[in-house]
Amino acid sequence: MFALAGMNGLVIGAIYALAALGVSLVVGIMNVINFAHGELYILAGYFSYLFANAFGMNFALAMTLAVALVFLFGLLIEYTLIRPTYGNDMYSLILTFILSIVLQNAYLLIFGPYPNKPPNWVGGSTLILGSFYYGNQRLAALIAGSAVITLVFLVIKKTWFGRIIRATSQDREMAELNGVNTKRLNMLSFGLGCALAAAAGVILAPIFPVTPTAGVPVALTAFVVVVLGGMGSLWGCVIGGLIIGLVENFGAAYISTAYKQVFSFIILILVLLSRPSGLFGRREA
Amino acid sequence: MKRKKSGLWLFAVVLSLVLAVGSAWAQETIKVGVVGPRTGSAAATGKAFEEGIKLGTDYVNAKGGVLGKKLEIVFEDTAGAPDKAASGFERLVTRDKVVMVLGESVSSSALAEIEVADRFKVPFIVVEAWADPITAKGYKYVFRAGPCNSGVVSETIAKWVVAEKFKRAFIVAETSDWGLGIAELSKSALTKAGVQFEAMTTERESKDHYTELNKIKAFDPDVVLAYIYGSGLHYFVAQAGEVKLTPKAIILDGAGPPSLWPDFWKNVGDYGNLECFVSSMHEKVELTKLATEYREAYQKAFGTPPTDYKSRSIFDSILIAADAINRAGSTDADKLVDALEKTSLLVTRGTVKFGTEKGGTEYHQWMPPMLVIQWQNKEQVVLYPPEAATGKLMR
Repeated sequence: MFALAGMNGLVIGAIYALAALGVSLVVGIMNVINFAHGELYILAGYFSYLFANAFGMNFALAMTLAVALVFLFGLLIEYTLIRPTYGNDMYSLILTFILSIVLQNAYLLIFGPYPNKPPNWVGGSTLILGSFYYGNQRLAALIAGSAVITLVFLVIKKTWFGRIIRATSQDREMAELNGVNTKRLNMLSFGLGCALAAAAGVILAPIFPVTPTAGVPVALTAFVVVVLGGMGSLWGCVIGGLIIGLVENFGAAYISTAYKQVFSFIILILVLLSRPSGLFGRREA
Repeated sequence: MKRKKSGLWLFAVVLSLVLAVGSAWAQETIKVGVVGPRTGSAAATGKAFEEGIKLGTDYVNAKGGVLGKKLEIVFEDTAGAPDKAASGFERLVTRDKVVMVLGESVSSSALAEIEVADRFKVPFIVVEAWADPITAKGYKYVFRAGPCNSGVVSETIAKWVVAEKFKRAFIVAETSDWGLGIAELSKSALTKAGVQFEAMTTERESKDHYTELNKIKAFDPDVVLAYIYGSGLHYFVAQAGEVKLTPKAIILDGAGPPSLWPDFWKNVGDYGNLECFVSSMHEKVELTKLATEYREAYQKAFGTPPTDYKSRSIFDSILIAADAINRAGSTDADKLVDALEKTSLLVTRGTVKFGTEKGGTEYHQWMPPMLVIQWQNKEQVVLYPPEAATGKLMR
């Protein structure tokens, strides 16, 4: 049971981290909390389901197209809903909250209440350490999720674009004085945050089929991970996601399966009591 | 000024005409409310209810309606949440002036609604919320024309487990009023039947069941009684196949409809084969002529045969309500309760008769017969009760 809890904790943790990265990126750069993050995750799941099942596309093409479309949708959201609210964080919070409700109802109307699932990339399961079977699709999702997380880190840490993002999140005014077009950066960052939600959605939809309201717990966990790791910290996201994944699984394995989420909230409270800005959060001056 | 005055007069005349026509039209119908989740995680039931409502109102109105007027159904969304359920129920009574309320499929919502029914003294026929306390509380205005946890366990699930000679069972229940209630009753029934068992609860919204499934696998059961509703059941069945719990152990879906949802096979793949589920509907086991008529009407209206039996349950409840209103000859709540208590009506699932003895779940309860069905190569085979069986358990 120990090996299984550890393995599953890592997989679920990586999944949580991936879902939270987009939230963290948008919070770090724009100081905007996107309440519709979970619904964009679901939108990508529906797109990949639609492209693969209804149009018969190859699953990789369907996933890429789904992420690209959600990225474009993210740009549109930033341009129409977020940009007019700059300077008042509360307005963007309310608008994205309304957007999440509108999207949930639109999904219900278009796709119906039943769960929809894109095809698996791989079938069957593998015997791990001679003690338990683990779904191959989950192993594939772990690899794909880790690859996306690594790519995000490479872009942020090693590229010119990443340097601009880091500079803006540290000091927006100084970045503007050095010629950074922060409006355009906001738009791209929001789109990228949405694309990360979409990446999580297309990777996970074959394991956890999407329903109109399935984005709510996804967003909730993503916010918990972001707060635990520290608002705007990418490393915080990864470590926070892994901690929550492991705590939930070890808690379920050795204490009770009925209170998985309670364990993660207890950890969150304990961390916030000692470090109010999260594990890797910057202290306010 | 004169033109302004005559304009006002014209407006007043038009308004009074509209109101007069509106109230005359309103008097042409008798309103009955339906409560159920049209949004939220249990929204599939709302869809089934909508289908049943359409067929039920068409059926009743084609036979002359109620008290010489058309029957009108007002459907209020409860989103599967007790607070929304209570306020939705209250809106039906105070805003829509319904004479009776039907429906609900989420036990925690129904438990909130029966309090409102009792306070406003409005007859309420619960359709698919199974928790025992709904009728066991003994409220005068609350009836249930559908399964209750104790009835499903004692009459169907426990007897089936014994009939199949299962030696070891595992009970896994979601953390909801329905799940926890039916799990406790199953424990008592299995203890009485001498079947060795273990039990655990799982979070209602949980998607990942690997830890639970590996614990279950370690127990090596013959059968897993899964009291998990909605998409969670699909995750459970698919993941049970991945961890190789099935096909050695047989899973019984203790609710039923999720095993019949349109994308069940897409979501669970081949792991759905040999899964068993509880249902009150099977196309080859139709207890009454009306059941066949219902299937044909459904096929005609929606282009597919019915799958979610909850559409048929709400259809039956509309017939029960219309029959009670007509026999009462009035929409007075107390007269409706009297009429409901004297109901003897043939519907799709058999003849409805409500229990009238207070002091237990049987009060104001009518329990329809339930079946245990197994998926065998994507064909539904009825296993239990023996008199309705169309085949044998495949392992």
